Amino acid sequence: MRKLLLLALLWPCMSVLYAQTPNRFQIQGITADTSSTPLGSATVMLLQRKDSSLVNFTRTNDKGAFAMRNVKRGDYLLKISYVGYIPFQQDIIFGDKEIVDLGTLKLKAITKELFEVVVKTARAPLSIKGDTIEYNAASFKVPPGSTVEDLLRKLPGVQVDQNGNIIAQGQQVQKVTVDGKRFFGSDPKMATQNLPADAITKVQIFNDKTEQSKVTGVDDGKQEKTVNLELKEGFKKGGFGKLTAGLGADGNGNAGPRGEIKGNYNKFDDKNQFSVIGLTNNTNQTGMSWDDYQDFRGSSSFNSWNDNGDFGFGGGGGRFIIIGGDDDGGLSIPVGGGNGRGYSNNIAGGINYNYNTKKIKTNASYYYNSTRQVVDAVRNRENFLQNGSFKTEEESSQINFVGNHRLSFRHEQTVDSLNAFIFTNNSRYNVGDTRLNSLQEFFRNNNFKSNETTINNATNVDKIETANTLIYRLKFKKNKGRSFAASASYNFTNNDGIADQKSLNLFYNATDPTDVMRRMLDLTNNTGSRVSQIKSSLLFVEPFAKRFFWESFVNLSYRSDNVDRDVFDLAKDSGRRVPVDSLSSFYKNSYNYARIGSSVRYSYKGLNFSGGLAVQSFQIDGKFALGQNPASFININRRFTTWIPNASLNYDLKNNRYLWSGYDVSVSQPSTRDLQPVIDNSNPLIIRQGNPDLLPTVNHNINFGYNMFNPASFMNVNVNMYYSYNVNQVVYNQQVDPTTLITVTKPVNITGGQNIGSYIGFGFPIKKTKASMNINFNPGFSKNLTPINGVLNQTNTDSYRFGTRLDLTPSDNFTIFANANWSVSNTRYSINTGQNQQIVNHSYGGTMNIRLPKDFFINSNLNYQIYKNERFGFNQQVPILNTSIYKILGKAKKAEIRLSIYDVFNRNLGVSQFANQNYVSQERIQTLARYGMLSFTYNMRGMNTNIKRRGGFF
Amino acid sequence: MKNIKLSTVRYQLRQSGFAILALISLGFSISAKAQQTEGMVTYEYKYYWTKVNSRLTFLSKEEKDRMKLTWGNEEDGPGTKMKLTFNDKQSIYTYFSDQGQTEDGRYSWRQSDYLIHRNFEQEKLIENHEMLGKTYLLEDSLMTYNWRIQNQIKDVAGYVCMKAETFDPIKNHKITAWFAQDIPVPAGPERYFGLPGLILELDINDGDVIVAAQKVELKNVDKELALPKMKGKKIKNNDYDQMLKKHIFDSIKAQRNPYWSIRY
Repeated sequence: MRKLLLLALLWPCMSVLYAQTPNRFQIQGITADTSSTPLGSATVMLLQRKDSSLVNFTRTNDKGAFAMRNVKRGDYLLKISYVGYIPFQQDIIFGDKEIVDLGTLKLKAITKELFEVVVKTARAPLSIKGDTIEYNAASFKVPPGSTVEDLLRKLPGVQVDQNGNIIAQGQQVQKVTVDGKRFFGSDPKMATQNLPADAITKVQIFNDKTEQSKVTGVDDGKQEKTVNLELKEGFKKGGFGKLTAGLGADGNGNAGPRGEIKGNYNKFDDKNQFSVIGLTNNTNQTGMSWDDYQDFRGSSSFNSWNDNGDFGFGGGGGRFIIIGGDDDGGLSIPVGGGNGRGYSNNIAGGINYNYNTKKIKTNASYYYNSTRQVVDAVRNRENFLQNGSFKTEEESSQINFVGNHRLSFRHEQTVDSLNAFIFTNNSRYNVGDTRLNSLQEFFRNNNFKSNETTINNATNVDKIETANTLIYRLKFKKNKGRSFAASASYNFTNNDGIADQKSLNLFYNATDPTDVMRRMLDLTNNTGSRVSQIKSSLLFVEPFAKRFFWESFVNLSYRSDNVDRDVFDLAKDSGRRVPVDSLSSFYKNSYNYARIGSSVRYSYKGLNFSGGLAVQSFQIDGKFALGQNPASFININRRFTTWIPNASLNYDLKNNRYLWSGYDVSVSQPSTRDLQPVIDNSNPLIIRQGNPDLLPTVNHNINFGYNMFNPASFMNVNVNMYYSYNVNQVVYNQQVDPTTLITVTKPVNITGGQNIGSYIGFGFPIKKTKASMNINFNPGFSKNLTPINGVLNQTNTDSYRFGTRLDLTPSDNFTIFANANWSVSNTRYSINTGQNQQIVNHSYGGTMNIRLPKDFFINSNLNYQIYKNERFGFNQQVPILNTSIYKILGKAKKAEIRLSIYDVFNRNLGVSQFANQNYVSQERIQTLARYGMLSFTYNMRGMNTNIKRRGGFF
Repeated sequence: MKNIKLSTVRYQLRQSGFAILALISLGFSISAKAQQTEGMVTYEYKYYWTKVNSRLTFLSKEEKDRMKLTWGNEEDGPGTKMKLTFNDKQSIYTYFSDQGQTEDGRYSWRQSDYLIHRNFEQEKLIENHEMLGKTYLLEDSLMTYNWRIQNQIKDVAGYVCMKAETFDPIKNHKITAWFAQDIPVPAGPERYFGLPGLILELDINDGDVIVAAQKVELKNVDKELALPKMKGKKIKNNDYDQMLKKHIFDSIKAQRNPYWSIRY
């Protein structure tokens, strides 16, 4: 009561105050359409005039009335929107009255057809700018390759007659502009018939003043219907390329100049990708880098994972991209720089084309590469017998040439939401030749030379191979999760080879050094081999319960091998070709493979488990004969049946932690070469014998892993463990003749070889963003069994690897990435413990980057390898330091000039050492060492000036 | 920041038969259900990672092009289904299903905890975020967005929507929202809300992420609006923003991608 009184007393004062300068207003009005029908439930928004910020909003009532109370004075815009009407806008002007009454505000309806077609059917955004209504042309579907004219025909209110004249909203269009400018003179058809529809983002139709009035400045009252086409901003289309050329001098006198040229160019738009690449060098870079590969193949870089037609678990035999290594075969384009041994001259080049739409993905590519490699090597090998050992020393010089033409084609088509197929073809034509000159010397325990072999071999290979696969996948409309897939493959290889073998063997009698037995060999082998294979697989997946799937598969394969080997002796009859029937052979094998299996999969919330069993049958039907024109054949008919269990687990835990485990069994069939009851004495000191009783090797594998990553602290942990056990492993039984040291090997089955090991890794920042460290430990234990001269030798190798990496990125101008790896492996032999040994490999590496003023950079890279084997007094230290200084040129930073020195200390030697079963070996190869090079690079997309990061995925 | 007094927003039923008649005669299909202010929206959340990764300042033009050419065509697959349950007082936005799955369902994965609750009546929010290796429970009062209303309309899931824009200063994102003129509820997907109508499409940073409504069901959802039990480290708006800011800054500095471990 008292309050009321107070209010009553104060009321006059307050109203006076308000009447003078009200600071709170009420804005009110009524919304209606052009025929004064009130619009209820319209959205009324109060916006800041400067940036359209929303200040307040309300809705109109059923009478179309609205009121906004308590509005502070300001610079406002009132906006009213109502479905089907052009949004209404009006500035608010505040007077000295508390109530701002806007009266009746009339909203104009959007043309019915515009609203229905553009907004409702095409779902294109409609922009309103005063009188002009524009809409997004991209929403109107026209087939690829259509012109703007085809697009205009689709637009509401627009007609295009047979002559290409455009009629919009009943009036003939006089002018067509592109981005507001005249296009191709005054004929409006020029623009509409020439521009592709997919280059256009927006179409605006409005009335413009006539040219006449524009020139004179006098409005003649006439208006021209105008169509303005807005081009897509940065219409996804472009081209880029990169070229590097370098020339340098070898630091090793007579080795000749070094050079490299490398270039690539890409052209693309949203559907097509076209690229070419080429490279040549004599700096041991045999192929493209991963980055080059990705630029070359574009969207087809990694699509092969989906192309495996061998359904079912374990050993399905997918295709993989070859990483590194020599280009020894395979249908995929080789990536990586090879092993960098010896000296090589390389040439490679290719073209690639990709076409991608939502439904079609097509790729075609051609790639050629060739390498000519010179390998001069020194090898030492020690073979252990039950009592004692013998040593082999070899000096060899080899020249290899290999050239490959590769063609690949892939077509993936999504027919509709349920049907899809993929066809792939990968083919290769390969030519190669090698020349090998080698001197091998054999030493007894007391370093007495017992044998000596001089070898001069030459080979020529001519090979064609092709692999074709068609995969069809079907999903079912009614049952989500049910699916069916079928595949068919045809693979073919034709290989013709000529091998000339010349050797001179000298056998020194142990008791009398003058009693030398000589054995001369001069053979030429012509081998023709044809292998063809037809495969087919089926897969059916049935979701039989919630979260459970039943997967069944069938794999069938038929392979036929035809190999004809004719050997001639040139030594017997002074160069005349005398057939050698004991070495010549002919065989024809066919292999039938069938596998059927089933598994159950459980999948829910990141716990994925699958377990299953398959049975496979493998049948070999072969006939074999010695001699060049054999009359009778030896038949090999074998059939193996193997059960294969399989289990796998993947568990996605909270907070970026993952767990997985698996058990699988792989089965490898004995090779035909091992099964043939034939003696191969092409190497007179190592005579190979076949064994028709071989059984397939069954390999049991168990693995377990865990990893976690904390994105906030940048900490990560990786742990994995593996165990494998071999049943019926094919091992070469060795019989060494104690007097001649001739080794006869014969494959036999041995059970019991096993491997166990682990990898543990831990990474953490020392100082966030400035320094981080990684530590890893990798122990491994293996047991291998080999019968030697009738005694089973057990070789145990325990290896321990420890590695650490330190990344220092203190500033944008200086970075160091250092790593160290220590590895020790102890090998123990059961039959000759005196030969037990320890091999030590250490490596220290580091990369340092410095950014200097004026776009100068320094990059240094050290790799220091230490190889030790005390038993042999072997201690090799190979420090390789590469360093370069470069300057980025130009404002756009597109060019670079670089001076590099490779192997500053001139210490590069291809060194490797290996201990296994009953031998240890070491190898040193004369390899490209110190050279300097001055190179120039131009990159259309600009050079990378980032010195912090070293590759990796993002 | 301007005050948006949500409580002053009045939602009224359109009763004018005349107006409806006029609309029908114009051929617009707006049924009476449009007047409802409660229901459920199913969205598709699509993350265009090659676009997102192209924002990484430490990648060169060459690396960005390489990524786009290699992977750019692989992004046509379906996105993640999300759902928004709303009435005029509150809303809950979270995953549509309780697990992530391949299209055929044969492989599944965990989804990081993510739930956004808005209470317009009490001006309160609750958010559950699993990010940066932890689970957080954000409880605070509603933040405000400075929405700028644009002169553009389009149809989303059968509703005519108007365009509004705002800016996220923490992640440096341009946000475009399309709100339905017919559903007078200030709710929206992800963390966005506060417009005169329900947000049916959200475009984060020029198409890096698109959250678009696929289905709008107007029905009673009182049951679905009950909050599930949520655990997590308690956090406030300000600390949450600071944490994100620091993570993005540190990651960019260390040349790591900050985005895969947070909601973009």
